[in-house]
Amino acid sequence: MSPSAQAPIRHDFNPYTENGGTILAIAGADFAVIAGDTRQSEGYNIQTRYAPKVFRLTDKAVLAVNGFAADGNMFVKKVKQRLEWYRHAHAKDMPLHAIARLIQTMLYAKRFFPYYVYNILGGIEEDGTGAVYSFDPVGSYEREACRAAGAAQSLVQPFLDNQIYFKNQQAAPGSPHPAHLPLNQVLALVTDSFTSATERHIEVGDGLEIYIVLAKGRNSNELESLKGVAEVTTASEAIATGERLFVLRRELKKD
Amino acid sequence: MSIMSYNGGSVVAMVGKNCVAIASDLRLGSQALTVATDFQKIFPVTDRIFLGLPGLATDVLTLKERFRFRVNMYTIKEEREIEPETFAHLVSSTLYERRFGPYFVEPVIAGLGKDNKPFIAATDLIGCLTLPKDFAVSGTASDKMFGVAEGLWEPDLEPEDLFETISQTLMNAVDRDAYSGWGAIVHVITPDKVITRTLKSRMD
Amino acid sequence: MNFSSHSTMNPMAWGNLREDAYPEPFGAYSHNQGVKPRADAFTDGVQRTQQPIVTGTSVLAIKYKDGIMMAADNLASYGSLARFKDIQRLHAVGDYTVIGAGGDMSDFQYLQQILDDLMVEEFAAEDGHPLGPAEIYEYLSQIMYGRRSKINPLWNSLLVGGFKDGKRFLGYVDLLGTTYTASTLATGYGAYIAQPLLRKAVEGREDTLTEEEAREIIKESMKVLYYRDARSLNKFQIATITEKGAVISESMSSETIWAFAEGIRGYGAQTS
Repeated sequence: MSPSAQAPIRHDFNPYTENGGTILAIAGADFAVIAGDTRQSEGYNIQTRYAPKVFRLTDKAVLAVNGFAADGNMFVKKVKQRLEWYRHAHAKDMPLHAIARLIQTMLYAKRFFPYYVYNILGGIEEDGTGAVYSFDPVGSYEREACRAAGAAQSLVQPFLDNQIYFKNQQAAPGSPHPAHLPLNQVLALVTDSFTSATERHIEVGDGLEIYIVLAKGRNSNELESLKGVAEVTTASEAIATGERLFVLRRELKKD
Repeated sequence: MSIMSYNGGSVVAMVGKNCVAIASDLRLGSQALTVATDFQKIFPVTDRIFLGLPGLATDVLTLKERFRFRVNMYTIKEEREIEPETFAHLVSSTLYERRFGPYFVEPVIAGLGKDNKPFIAATDLIGCLTLPKDFAVSGTASDKMFGVAEGLWEPDLEPEDLFETISQTLMNAVDRDAYSGWGAIVHVITPDKVITRTLKSRMD
Repeated sequence: MNFSSHSTMNPMAWGNLREDAYPEPFGAYSHNQGVKPRADAFTDGVQRTQQPIVTGTSVLAIKYKDGIMMAADNLASYGSLARFKDIQRLHAVGDYTVIGAGGDMSDFQYLQQILDDLMVEEFAAEDGHPLGPAEIYEYLSQIMYGRRSKINPLWNSLLVGGFKDGKRFLGYVDLLGTTYTASTLATGYGAYIAQPLLRKAVEGREDTLTEEEAREIIKESMKVLYYRDARSLNKFQIATITEKGAVISESMSSETIWAFAEGIRGYGAQTS
């Protein structure tokens, strides 16, 4: 029997959709790397090959958002607004751990009509260490050394467990696994993660945007030699004193 | 919940230099409840071919017997051992026979053919064959294994390096999968021997 | 006709009043995850747009050397009925911007009013900052996202094209508040049929394509859409937004050939 012969089907308006893509962040001893691909899709349609998912919040904090793009953009907009208010009130940038708590509060405020977004916050803590905070859509969060989220989370996270946390690897006697990897190795793992995800997941590809936050006074030698790197630090005196922020852009396969 | 993930379990196969490897976890579950931690899902077909059957456990047991029967019949009739390519097509047609009431397994085949040529294959539950040149994954942790294998695998690995690669791929994938894990087993098939090792891995 | 039985989130099915008989393939958009708005004493009296009624189909737009070119046909459908055949779906907002809409035409005309009122208000401010395409796009996006957040969406997919201060602008926004920019954009069936043609012709050539070349690409795409999109009309307008301002053309049509259809049962005049 066709459905029309029974009660008419009611389709409520669905205010959500998924826009694909993947994000990733890794904390170093004195740096943090936050990355995301730039493809935005809906179903089998590629809407655009360049829609950023990673955003500069301050010179020491970068936020990656993944899930429903309209919610993501609105959320970033509101976080930035709250950080500007903080700046006006306190004449300084909000510390990273405080931004993390702010994000939790803002997400939980919409507990019963959530932002359908997974957030990863990366940057430099007040003690100068690299940090990554990851959130679920309603604000549960924790500080970690690395996290992947989004469409290819299931492909990337176990690879990171192995390569960052050295899971299932036995350390040679007398030389324990390092707690943090050097920047060049982290960047290599990030690019490898995204090329792998691009190969095996249809919603990942087109472009890769990697933000790199360096702690106060850390040298930037490794970055100078890389091509496609641009410094995006805003505070002019920061070159000498504060944290420094860089973007590294790479192409990914477009099929 | 899907029948394909009712019991859980994962299998991966990889190509190396004049060798192939196949590995699986050892869990048998009833949805979230773990029932056994010694459940074999990889079976020898000949001395040089192994078959991995992740999926619904009852069908795993049925199919391993059916394939044993069919391979024996083949050996008797042909008076020779079956080749991996031939066996892959046997698997495919056996599954397609049940096109509209399938066995809920997605087999992975690994073996050495004539001149010790590495061979791996995988099919879906109704027998659609794929013949990758690098690696094949199947089971509840397949997406995770895809990610790790894509990052770790490289061409022309020697048996010991292939063992390490497939073991790391499997273990790190199943550690992120609630339906797989609780120990693992690896077979590396080389021209003169099969190296079989059970792995100590996370038991949670 | 039973309006309550169709829907939908899927732009592909806008104007499909027979979803019961011809459902969405794969049921990809039929998940009911709707969030119920808060109920109060007036809830029963509030009517919300649950489906588009009089609908427009695709809008296309590309970047080219001198600016933006946009096109849309003149049809507003009532389900499968070609109800209004002289509807404008391109609308200039101020001197620098054109918007084009697919989806519900009454919602689109409501948006036109809002934007026109906004432009009057901004003109009256005399602050020397006339709104450009980027500002109009942002404003429009916030309206669309705001309405979706009230579970009372404006049922459209819109393109915003513009040229101001030597810079081209081209953006998309829809009923969910989803936004994106690219050098080629297409809504509705255009996203499936025209977008591949547009990308092939435009990507990497945005700064060299002449107006004549751009016009050919757009016309060809509109023709292909007319052949394949049953809710389209061979009567369309093309807008250009350049340094010289926004110009929306008179309606035009494409040369089409239907000789091949004669021998095909179902296409031609055969009766059995």
